[in-house]
Amino acid sequence: MSDLLLDVKNLETHFKTEEGLVKAVNNVSFSLNRRETVGIVGESGSGKSVTSLSVMRLIPDPPGKIVGGSINYYGDDGSVTDLTTLSEAEMRKYRGNEISMIFQEPMTSLNPVFTCGNQVIEAIRLHQNVSKQEAIDQTLALFEKVQLPTPERILKAYPHQLSGGQKQRVMIAMAMSCNPKILIADEPTTALDVTVQKTILELMANLKNEIDSSIIFITHDLGVIAEIADRVIVMYKGKIVEQGDVYSIFSNPQHPYTKGLLACRPPLNRRLSQLPTVSDFMREEDGQMIEVKASVEEMLSGFEITHEQHREHLNQLKKQEPLLEVRNLRTWFPSGKNFFGKTTSWVKAVDDVSFDVYPGETLGLVGESGCGKTTLGRSLLRLAPAREGEVIYRGKDILKLTKAEMKELRREVQIIFQDPYSSLNPRLTIGNAIMEPMQVHGVYDTDSQRKDRVVELLETVSLKAHHFNRYPHEFSGGQRQRICVARSLALNPKFIICDESVSALDVSVQAQVLNLLNELQNKLDLTYIFISHDLSVVKFMSDRMVVMNQGVIEEMGPADDICLNPQTAYTQRLISAIPKGLVEEIKVRKGV
Amino acid sequence: MLSYILKRSVYGVLVLFGVAMLIFAMFKLLPDPARMTMGQRPDVATIEAIRKAQHLDEPIYMQLAYYLNDISPVSIHEDTAENREEYAYTKLLGLGSNALVIKAPYLGRSMQNRKRVTEIIWEAVPTTAILGISAMLIASVIGILFGIIAALNQFKFLDNAILSTTVLGISQPSYFSGVVLGLVFGYWLADWTGLSNTGPLFEMVGLSDELTFQPKNLILPALALGIRPIAIIVQLTRSSMLDVLSQDYIRTARAKGLSKWMVIFKHGLRNAMNPVVTTISGWFASVLAGSFFIEIIFDCKGLGFQTVMALNNFDLPVIMGAVLFVATIFVTVNIFVDLIYGVLDPRVSYAA
Repeated sequence: MSDLLLDVKNLETHFKTEEGLVKAVNNVSFSLNRRETVGIVGESGSGKSVTSLSVMRLIPDPPGKIVGGSINYYGDDGSVTDLTTLSEAEMRKYRGNEISMIFQEPMTSLNPVFTCGNQVIEAIRLHQNVSKQEAIDQTLALFEKVQLPTPERILKAYPHQLSGGQKQRVMIAMAMSCNPKILIADEPTTALDVTVQKTILELMANLKNEIDSSIIFITHDLGVIAEIADRVIVMYKGKIVEQGDVYSIFSNPQHPYTKGLLACRPPLNRRLSQLPTVSDFMREEDGQMIEVKASVEEMLSGFEITHEQHREHLNQLKKQEPLLEVRNLRTWFPSGKNFFGKTTSWVKAVDDVSFDVYPGETLGLVGESGCGKTTLGRSLLRLAPAREGEVIYRGKDILKLTKAEMKELRREVQIIFQDPYSSLNPRLTIGNAIMEPMQVHGVYDTDSQRKDRVVELLETVSLKAHHFNRYPHEFSGGQRQRICVARSLALNPKFIICDESVSALDVSVQAQVLNLLNELQNKLDLTYIFISHDLSVVKFMSDRMVVMNQGVIEEMGPADDICLNPQTAYTQRLISAIPKGLVEEIKVRKGV
Repeated sequence: MLSYILKRSVYGVLVLFGVAMLIFAMFKLLPDPARMTMGQRPDVATIEAIRKAQHLDEPIYMQLAYYLNDISPVSIHEDTAENREEYAYTKLLGLGSNALVIKAPYLGRSMQNRKRVTEIIWEAVPTTAILGISAMLIASVIGILFGIIAALNQFKFLDNAILSTTVLGISQPSYFSGVVLGLVFGYWLADWTGLSNTGPLFEMVGLSDELTFQPKNLILPALALGIRPIAIIVQLTRSSMLDVLSQDYIRTARAKGLSKWMVIFKHGLRNAMNPVVTTISGWFASVLAGSFFIEIIFDCKGLGFQTVMALNNFDLPVIMGAVLFVATIFVTVNIFVDLIYGVLDPRVSYAA
């Protein structure tokens, strides 16, 4: 039995689109050995998902098609099969049986109308000749193995009754059900909280050893790769730009793109004035790639701020009068009602929360999903109804403002939402979208003056004036978030709430948007509340930080202090769950 | 769940109460019913007698009270032999000369032939019910089938052909397709099809007194009534199916190694049916409306036919009774549909 399990050679997968032929996977070759975990990393559109779907032969056709190359699968009996030449019926014997797959979105990857048990049983009975009872027993055993609580209950539960992490465990159980030789995991933890991500990664590593399989792990986050992979493949624009074992990639990256990916993750243990981005290492001019010769470390230390400098900055901030004072804020949602519609029980999303925000400061708000951080942000602007408490902005209680005063306030306080895809109206050109708030609030007298302002704003967020008449779908996720930033700046606000504003973006794009926000803060004297589930991002952005858990404040203080010296068990757990991607840790894990 | 049904039923009764008020108000705007009842014979004494019998001499709020008391299943009546005969009630509690009673809603008697309105409606219901249900059955089966075919052949010839046909189907009202179908299949091609242009669903055959069901008289009206729903269901099934087939869980099902047809019918169709079922039940209501025309065109003596006849004759009690009955059907169907959602989609919760 050879050690080789999968050998992909010169794979070409093309998509026919309205703009012409897209070579999503362009001459890609790599191999996978038995019991090995290979990580494929790259930003969205780099072709990493298409590569994995090509192996499964699940490319939607039309518009996609594998047009060249081979995917050789080495069976246990010594046979070699080129998967690209199999008929659809033959391929089905491999799918779910020899090669199985876990997808990114556990929320939508399970069929909502069948029970979780049924969906796993279906997979088992499809590939194994067993009775229904036996399949049920196997499923229960699998649920036990993926550490789901109360397997009997989950067997009969529908997907919507489970949490995201539990759903992903069901997906893993389904993928593992026929002891596959290859498990392809396409961003399996991207949609999950860091704490849940950590447990899922551990689970996958354990199961891999137990059933003796190999994993192809796809992600945009090198930090996750460092935790799980043996070998790393870096993809960029449909091509492999670098591959090697995980230690050498992290300790000595060669390609500027790899360096960029490594450097753009916000570090926990040091403070930077700005994040290096991929474009700091390479840029394209006339189709030629120009490389900047610099190591990751050189780039990072160039942006570093010392502890003393930052402490000085904090002291300066605290000398001022607070811009916003939140006192004993409570936002409860009714969770149970009796027959006559009277509320009998409450979900206490925000419960007795108090804090101050100083002018020019960034206050970070961090916690797991469901901890109440988003509701808190919305309550401040009365987008969620607060039950009691005070939100004092420049001496006035926002919760008691009249409608006219509230409109006035909305000029000064803006919010940037999480999803740049759904927070822009698809039928409005971006120029009009940015102009709209100015028209509503009567800023400037004529539309031509407003247009000039929009162009100015577009340039502020590094977009071009000629983008004015384009529609949102013509822009990438990062560009759309820039547009949202420009729109929120249209009214010259003083205070901006960023609600998970970079969570939907790739790490490399995230770094650009974070830098932009910081730059704007300095230039326009803005004050931010920065809400995110990602502690490292919050730490990079904020001067002070609030850690929330189940509606109450768990810990509050200077961001550096909390990260370096967390006081509560909850914060410690959050910090330890972050994939840090440190070379030393890889060294220990791989025993180099 | 039980609490949900109870709550919905209470709302339903409230809606019906509103409908009853509306009916009462609208018919109060018409000229003196007593005179209309009498037709061409203006005899003051008789008119006064009728006025008295129908409480028309009393103030309007008393008239409303009498009306609501009549249609309510639990009501108070003077406990006389006459009333016992007329209302056919069961006495619950004696209140002096009056009695609290339970009864079937009393809708009065036709002004034309003194027949009980309830009786007229009951005789008409089977025809309309059979017509409506068969129309919707035809529409559902054909609609869903062609919807799936169109979805699986998206942007190909078959899809385009089906879609353009549905546009034709949607664009014509049922009274038009009814006339055309009757003319083509019941007249021009009658020798081949063996169908007649018009004919009731229940007929006395030969010398027998019994009404027998005539299935061949059902085909054309049911088809005419079903054409628009077919077109709508095709389009809806198609778009819903296309939407579902692009979902992540369909990819998961394929990644399991399921065959194409298993994926489409087991994982796809079940999810795609939700909006379709909503529409089908919504169309039940519209079909009731459509059957008013169709029953006239094809001479089926159903609820629609009787109502139109009553309208022609200003037979107020029949019209008021029929409207109230149709409203009750609407409310009941709607509650039923909401319950079906829960069966189809486990995510629907019936939190009260």
